[in-house]
Amino acid sequence: MTTIAPDREESVLVRRPGPHELRPVRTHRRRRALELSLAVAVPVALVLWWQLAATQGWIDPRVYPAPSTILSDGWHRAAAGELWPDVWATTKRVVGGYAIGTAAGYALGLLMGSLSLVRAALEPLLDALYVVPKLALLPIFLNMFGLGEGPQVALVATTVFFFVWISTMSAVVAIPSGHRDAGRVFGATPWQMFRHVLLPASLPAVLVGARIAAGVAVLVIVASEQIAATNGLGHLIFDSRALFQNDVMFVGIVCVAVLGVVFSELVRVAGRLLTPWAPRDRGRGQS
Amino acid sequence: MGDPHPKLHATRLTRTFGRAPHQVHALGPLELTIAPGEFVCLVGPSGCGKSTLLRIAAGLLRPSTGTLEIRTSSARPAAMIFQDYGIYDWKSVRANVRFGLDIQRVPRHEANARADEWLTRMGLADFAHAYPATLSGGMRQRVAIARALAVKPELLLMDEPFAALDAQLRTILQDELLELTQTLHTTTLFITHSLEEALVLGDRVLVMSARPGRIIAEHRPPFPRPRTGDIRDSPEFTALKSELWELLRKETVPA
Repeated sequence: MTTIAPDREESVLVRRPGPHELRPVRTHRRRRALELSLAVAVPVALVLWWQLAATQGWIDPRVYPAPSTILSDGWHRAAAGELWPDVWATTKRVVGGYAIGTAAGYALGLLMGSLSLVRAALEPLLDALYVVPKLALLPIFLNMFGLGEGPQVALVATTVFFFVWISTMSAVVAIPSGHRDAGRVFGATPWQMFRHVLLPASLPAVLVGARIAAGVAVLVIVASEQIAATNGLGHLIFDSRALFQNDVMFVGIVCVAVLGVVFSELVRVAGRLLTPWAPRDRGRGQS
Repeated sequence: MGDPHPKLHATRLTRTFGRAPHQVHALGPLELTIAPGEFVCLVGPSGCGKSTLLRIAAGLLRPSTGTLEIRTSSARPAAMIFQDYGIYDWKSVRANVRFGLDIQRVPRHEANARADEWLTRMGLADFAHAYPATLSGGMRQRVAIARALAVKPELLLMDEPFAALDAQLRTILQDELLELTQTLHTTTLFITHSLEEALVLGDRVLVMSARPGRIIAEHRPPFPRPRTGDIRDSPEFTALKSELWELLRKETVPA
């Protein structure tokens, strides 16, 4: 930032343009290129290393099949149409549960954020339920809905609900009172207040919760499909392991990763379109 | 002006923001020389690059072209006072004042002594252990001033420090700062919107143009030091103020 040229006991501190100021376009382009190549190079290097380890026999390729094996196996399964039913089953459950959970979590969060009496009535109860591992609720859902899609969707919905509920409620509580007061002075009805103030003011924070929930939804569905489903990627992963088809297992894991990334990116893009005024963030949800 | 050893010297200083199609030329080209111990006030319309200049001097931002030289014996000669948000809500008043000393690894014993000395000087001794959230705006800004001066800066940078205060408090704090700087003789670059503030405090008042900010006028208020806030009532003061206001208004209207 600064350089010091020695000069008796006193010296001169010079603030001068740096590379970013002297060649802004070039510096910016280089920086972007570096960021992009790092984003690509790190995963590629890891995969290559894995490939090398598998082909050199440093790791047992029956337990950890080479990436090339996983890729070709996945390709064949996809081409033969064996993969899609599982992908489709998981996607359906995630999207269904996510929609229900988000809607319910948002509605209740909004209500509890705006009305302190509702908050007083429900907060301790929901806080207690929040800390229960959601997978522990699966047996209850199995009893309630029987086998089939019901328990899976319910589990995803419950998981998503808590994330969205808690972020909505804290977002609504945190809305500066000046925002509400301005609406109230004009005589806004509760609906107008929601439409013009509460919804937009809380949306950025709600979307952060929704994005985290998107990742967690995928996480939960894989675990629950392993326990109580006859199809889906979670079932595929654990079933193949039991049959010692480790390459199929890895195909399933890669599919889950892709599904999770695509889903949370979709939520992020949707969020960006919904909140054009909010500062852009390029980070991914911590899912 | 003709000082062979100015404290701060800016040469053809400019700053632009953003990249090619959306580039904003914020500042300059600007020439500026500040003598040791001088109190220079910078007034100008909103968005004229005053704060940009200050941030370059503070080392928070680099110039786009040109250089700014500071004659100093330390690597971090400047202390800055911000309009707001400068002091930390999570530190007590004393810890806030001590902050700069803590960063410079001054031993705790000495740091506490220096912080307490400044708290007494600013009339904050009773609030040493309070948190800033419990203080009024005027007291918070006194804490910010104490924090900046506790490190004995060679260069004091003030970015509209009193802008968020009400008119009465502003006057009071101006008078306090006037008394303080006349005993300390710290080289100061003070940014303000208020002509009155600039004329009361400054050895020199520089008027900046609308963006891109350049210096369009320079005045030395003819009030001998040590001065007090009473000069506000003198006819020269009013005359000078309206003269500068004429200049500034031309710059403010098109914005």
